Amino acid sequence: MSGMEGMSIAAEPGLVLGLVAAVVTAPLVATAVVAAGGFPRSPRTPAVGGLGVALAAAALLSWLCYAAEGPAFEFGPRFGGGSLVHVDGITAALLPTVALIELAIVLVAPKRFLDPAATVRLLLGAAATTALFSTAHPLALVVLWIATALPTWISTRGTPGGRPAARVFATVMLLALACMTGGTLLMLADPPWERGCGLVGNAGGWLVAIAVLLRKGIVPFHSWYPALFSGAPLSTALAATMPQVAAYTAVRLLMGHADHGAGVGAELVVLSQLALVTAAYGAALALVQRDLRGLIGTLAMSQSAMVLAGLAGKLPMELNGALCVWISSGLALTGIGLVAWALESRAGPLSLATPQGRFYDAPALAALFLIFGLAAIGLPGTLSFVADDLIVSGSLDEQLHAGLLVIASTVLSGIAVMRGWFFIFGGPTAVDGPRHTILPRERFALTALLVPLFAFGLWPGPLVATLERAAEQLLGVTADGEPLPAPAAGEVTIGSP
Amino acid sequence: MTGHDIVAALVVMQLAAPAATLALVGLPALLGRPLSERATTQIVGGGFAVGFLAAISLLGLLFARGFTPEVVHSGTWFAVGHHAATMNLVADALSVPYVCFSTGLCWLVNSFAGKYLHREPGFARFFILLALFGTGMNLMVLADSIDVLFAGWEFVGISSALLIGFFFERRNAIDAALRAYTTYRICDVGLLTAGVVIHRAVGSGDFERLFGADWPTSTCLVPAGTATVVSLLLVFAALGKSAQVPVSGWLPRAMEGPTPSSAIFYGALSIHAGAYVLLRCEALLDMAPLARVALVVIGAGTALHASLVGRVQTDLKSMLAYASMAQASLILVEIGLGLRVIPLVHVVGHAILRSLQILRSPSALHDRHELEAAIGGHPDLGGWSPLSWLPARAQAAVYRIALERGYEEMAVTKFVVGPALRLLERLAAAERAWVTWLGEKRPRREGARP
Repeated sequence: MSGMEGMSIAAEPGLVLGLVAAVVTAPLVATAVVAAGGFPRSPRTPAVGGLGVALAAAALLSWLCYAAEGPAFEFGPRFGGGSLVHVDGITAALLPTVALIELAIVLVAPKRFLDPAATVRLLLGAAATTALFSTAHPLALVVLWIATALPTWISTRGTPGGRPAARVFATVMLLALACMTGGTLLMLADPPWERGCGLVGNAGGWLVAIAVLLRKGIVPFHSWYPALFSGAPLSTALAATMPQVAAYTAVRLLMGHADHGAGVGAELVVLSQLALVTAAYGAALALVQRDLRGLIGTLAMSQSAMVLAGLAGKLPMELNGALCVWISSGLALTGIGLVAWALESRAGPLSLATPQGRFYDAPALAALFLIFGLAAIGLPGTLSFVADDLIVSGSLDEQLHAGLLVIASTVLSGIAVMRGWFFIFGGPTAVDGPRHTILPRERFALTALLVPLFAFGLWPGPLVATLERAAEQLLGVTADGEPLPAPAAGEVTIGSP
Repeated sequence: MTGHDIVAALVVMQLAAPAATLALVGLPALLGRPLSERATTQIVGGGFAVGFLAAISLLGLLFARGFTPEVVHSGTWFAVGHHAATMNLVADALSVPYVCFSTGLCWLVNSFAGKYLHREPGFARFFILLALFGTGMNLMVLADSIDVLFAGWEFVGISSALLIGFFFERRNAIDAALRAYTTYRICDVGLLTAGVVIHRAVGSGDFERLFGADWPTSTCLVPAGTATVVSLLLVFAALGKSAQVPVSGWLPRAMEGPTPSSAIFYGALSIHAGAYVLLRCEALLDMAPLARVALVVIGAGTALHASLVGRVQTDLKSMLAYASMAQASLILVEIGLGLRVIPLVHVVGHAILRSLQILRSPSALHDRHELEAAIGGHPDLGGWSPLSWLPARAQAAVYRIALERGYEEMAVTKFVVGPALRLLERLAAAERAWVTWLGEKRPRREGARP
């Protein structure tokens, strides 16, 4: 880090704000171009341009935050527990992840799927998601929850055979949005970020917790997760679930309350216990899925729950592990989902009841599915290995049952992934069966997803250090569990109030 | 350049050489431009040859220095608070001889497989997995911390499962690969949890803090309670890779893979991975009599099981698989009895003999068929068995038990796997029914506004 000293960007809040604006507005500009009828034959071009700019800006922002080694950057009026634009280690790590996931989805999307309307929905969803990951403002979070859920519902509803899944999604999301709105308003009326918060504020916290439970697909409200993967286009399901909007909301609204000694509220502790059960249950269900989409849906449910389970950790190590799982599972499961989508676009729906013999049809996709699958379950040398190490160590440090459930989830996910690979790609192949080569844009997108998985797996230092600082700030303790010294006056809030 | 620097360079070369070949052969294949058979064999073989020469040099150097252990600190991989994953490797009297013979065997098998798998559709895939296995095995053997050891252990498990399922056009190969991987994965819980316990006990995964670095005379540096817990977890981890009862069913099925991989995995290296880990952590076992007893009981039971079942097998590779299982079990018994050098010698001797037998098995069958054709019948080989002393009814009962593979798989399937899968199937069906109900379009009530 010595080389980075003196590169503090604390004096350049305008640059940070500009980059955040670029991340959010680039997809919106692309949306405007597509909606205005530009590139009617290939709406992918402006979409890739917009999301590419967003990714570049997010990556630069991430690097600046790593180099700055400073506290959070906040801009705009502070309302409730956070300000309108809030950039800390978590934002810095997650924004590029979200942008990369969205870009990969647009690149891999089959041509017949990516009409202008679908592209607009994807881009609007991307803009809303990146905006959500840049704010800590409670009301902005509520508005962006709605903005991120709508494209998913519209897209699922418009898919042939997708109406049942859309109804399930709508039911759960309406409940979640009602809880989120009510809970946020109660929290604003009686802020838990200030000492002496009363019954109203606590009730608000619990309502937000229920909203997170619903939106994150935690037991007993988990069924919409695999249903969405089965009924919606895979792009829609991946864009809706991989960024983990609800986990981000939990971090912003349920952590750092004044009355919580270690920075984690009772709501989050209860959520984490249910999430642990969900992680193990989802991985167990993945073992008996009959089709590929069901497998991806249950795996996504399990991995997503693992993130929430780690968020309630009292030690930065566990929180750090949860954040690493957030990134690694997001990238790896997006990779698996996109490979599945590419396969489906060539061969139709894929069953897991019998071996499908797809290896010689698409050997490159087979190799990529295996690598993404292994990268999702803790292959040494990938980010998930680091994530599993941290989250297992952290959770076992605190509670034995938590550690054992995390281990059970990891073990079962591994078996499910390997079963999925052998049943899709193994089996007899028809001599005159089709042979499909991977398209260059598919190869580029999938390779781009692999790069951070392996780069941060082999060289996790910078990412872990960035996330450690963010975890320490959120929990108010150092990595060793010592209380964090209070920031100097004016250090936290930078930019115009 | 000091002696330590030379040792460090040679140790790193053990890992770098096979890892580089993995990248050199794997990346072109991933990009859709696999190398020719000749280039593939030469590159992977070259990596193993470099590794083997480095290992022999290391052995000579270590011998000249009186087998004084050298720990190579390659830095910290990542650290959060008190939790640090270090990249420590060790060159000592256990790791260096072991890495010599493991790299040497990989090199030999590479040469054999280059011809054996000629024009096989998965030619490049085999060598990529062989390079992955070689990297993982060396990582595991040279590890001086539980984190590095676990990483190597995982590579060995993954490459093993993928090679068992090498001929994945066949359903049997898929089932065998999944059975092996499931067993590995479940038993990996032991190693994973042991790693966490070690981190909590000594603040890092370094073996130096656990039992020093002077194998075979290392002594335990942690309390007996910790040593017992870690040892029992390591024994559990070893059960899977060493195919011990009640999780031995995967081994005979693992012979579905190509002969060269069967030879190196289940005749030589992978089958002894558990024994190696236990040998590395022998000092802990000194403080854990319970783990020793468990090892002796499980090992002796499995040896008896494998000897009986192996005698009634009707195909050569299954017979060899049970012979491997029996020897691996005896090695665990030796470790359980507190021996250190004898199990190492036993591992090396058994690995060399068994891999030769497995590599030779296809041509041995061919020879046998020629012999039978020449003499016009089966040659009378005679033979004697201690079971012939038993009464006829007891012999029949033992024969039946052996034929049913000791009812081990039946018991595991009937009482563990079957009920668990049935429960999960029911839960999945209930989930589907619930989602279907939730997603149904409800008919509007009469009188409701359209």
